[in-house]
Amino acid sequence: MKDQWTDRLSEYLDGELPEAERPALEQHLASCEACRATLAELRSVVARAASLEDRPPAADLWAGIADRIGAAGAERKAGARWRALRLTLTVPQLAAAAVALMAVSAGGVWLANSRQGVPAEAARPVSANRLTGVAPVSLVEGPYESAVRDLEKVVQQGRGRLDTTTVRVMEQNLRLIDTAIAQCRQALEADPASAYLNAHLAETMQQKLELLRQAARLAAART
Amino acid sequence: MTGTMMLGLLVLLQGPGHQYRDWDQDQEKSGGADTTIAVRPGTRLEVHDLNGSITVRTWARNEVRVLAEHSKKDQVDIEYGGAVLKVSASSRRGAPRDVDYQITVPTAMDLTLGGVYADVSVEGSTGRIAVETVQGDVVVRGGRSLVTLHSTNGDVTATGVQGRLEANSTNGTVTVEDAEGEMYVEGVNGDISLRGIRSGNVDVSTVNGSIDYHGTVQDDGTYRLSTHNGDVTMTVPTGANATVTVSTFSGDFESDFPVTLTGGRQSKRFSFTVGSGKATMELESFQGSIHLVRP
Repeated sequence: MKDQWTDRLSEYLDGELPEAERPALEQHLASCEACRATLAELRSVVARAASLEDRPPAADLWAGIADRIGAAGAERKAGARWRALRLTLTVPQLAAAAVALMAVSAGGVWLANSRQGVPAEAARPVSANRLTGVAPVSLVEGPYESAVRDLEKVVQQGRGRLDTTTVRVMEQNLRLIDTAIAQCRQALEADPASAYLNAHLAETMQQKLELLRQAARLAAART
Repeated sequence: MTGTMMLGLLVLLQGPGHQYRDWDQDQEKSGGADTTIAVRPGTRLEVHDLNGSITVRTWARNEVRVLAEHSKKDQVDIEYGGAVLKVSASSRRGAPRDVDYQITVPTAMDLTLGGVYADVSVEGSTGRIAVETVQGDVVVRGGRSLVTLHSTNGDVTATGVQGRLEANSTNGTVTVEDAEGEMYVEGVNGDISLRGIRSGNVDVSTVNGSIDYHGTVQDDGTYRLSTHNGDVTMTVPTGANATVTVSTFSGDFESDFPVTLTGGRQSKRFSFTVGSGKATMELESFQGSIHLVRP
């Protein structure tokens, strides 16, 4: 349910709501569960966005990927911009930017690693670059799908260097993730405003990128 | 004095910056290497094993002993340069066959252990530990500061870790027991179990598997357990203070104790407070059950 204060919550959270209006909003919050829940969601998005690690991809890869999302030249500022991002954006806008950054970072870094023929390095920090912000799918499909395609290409090229068991395990787990993504999308059709479903979809998409990245690295390491 | 012992002596005399090869042409069935190398404090051990196993134990000496069993056609190469002692195997014909390493290291030595078809086991280390294998199990007992463990197709078990733990298995279970510090655990197809945990920062997720947490809930802590297809069981100690957010699409929620919703309930996402609500607890399962239980 949306009321006159719903669109003002981000200003309130950001400290940009005029002083004169704050008491009225706080009074409203005391009696409106929906607005309290929305405010909690906003806080959660901000907290998760702030935890993003700034991992700029290799320069030679960044240009092509950045072109696809219209963000060329922004890589150096990405992390700082995220942390400084004010909640004057709507939740979907904030989430879209977050997932775009996620796709670029994940795809770029993995492609870079695969090109370098990364050896059997230590396990990468599992959650350091996890992103769990909400993600309106329509806004992020472009960069995400591009990153997935790029990684799939790397995996396909190196597929012959992987043994059949590893290929089977990777394919089986990618199917599991694809099924989960499909179920999330289906659920979102029925409840597109669900913050949980959007966040869960974004996280599951991220898991697919991570697995593709892992497969790409394994393929590259066998060369 | 055997050739192997002579090699060990050679290493001790010459120290870092040299490469050693241990050809084992005079041993039965499989070859074998037994080499002891003096190392300086701060040296990191790096082992790569294509097939076989790596077992690391510790002792109170500034020496690394490498005991290896391998085919007669293979050799163990030990290279000590800079601050890294590298151990790997090679063959005169193609890739080396199975090599089983038993390595003893200084207790505080940092370890980077990698394998492809290899099981990896570490016991008693207080250094940084990084393990990655493709098809094999990982078992670590001990470990401080940073411990990162990954298996693509195998189980990962960490016991007694103190520090930051990052554990991941794509197609296996992850079990963490009696551990203290930040916990970041991920999986895709496998259950995740954390028992006896003392942590204020726990982040666990998998796609197809259940998650079970049994440990402390610190007042300033953050605990996030998320799965797509599986149950989530969170043990809430008596006296814990947490704001709990439960999210599911088609799953159920059950609690051992009464809870009163504090925020708006949106579909199947709702919040409630336990005690003073200081810690943050997020429990998510798309299509599994979420259980809150008492110890």
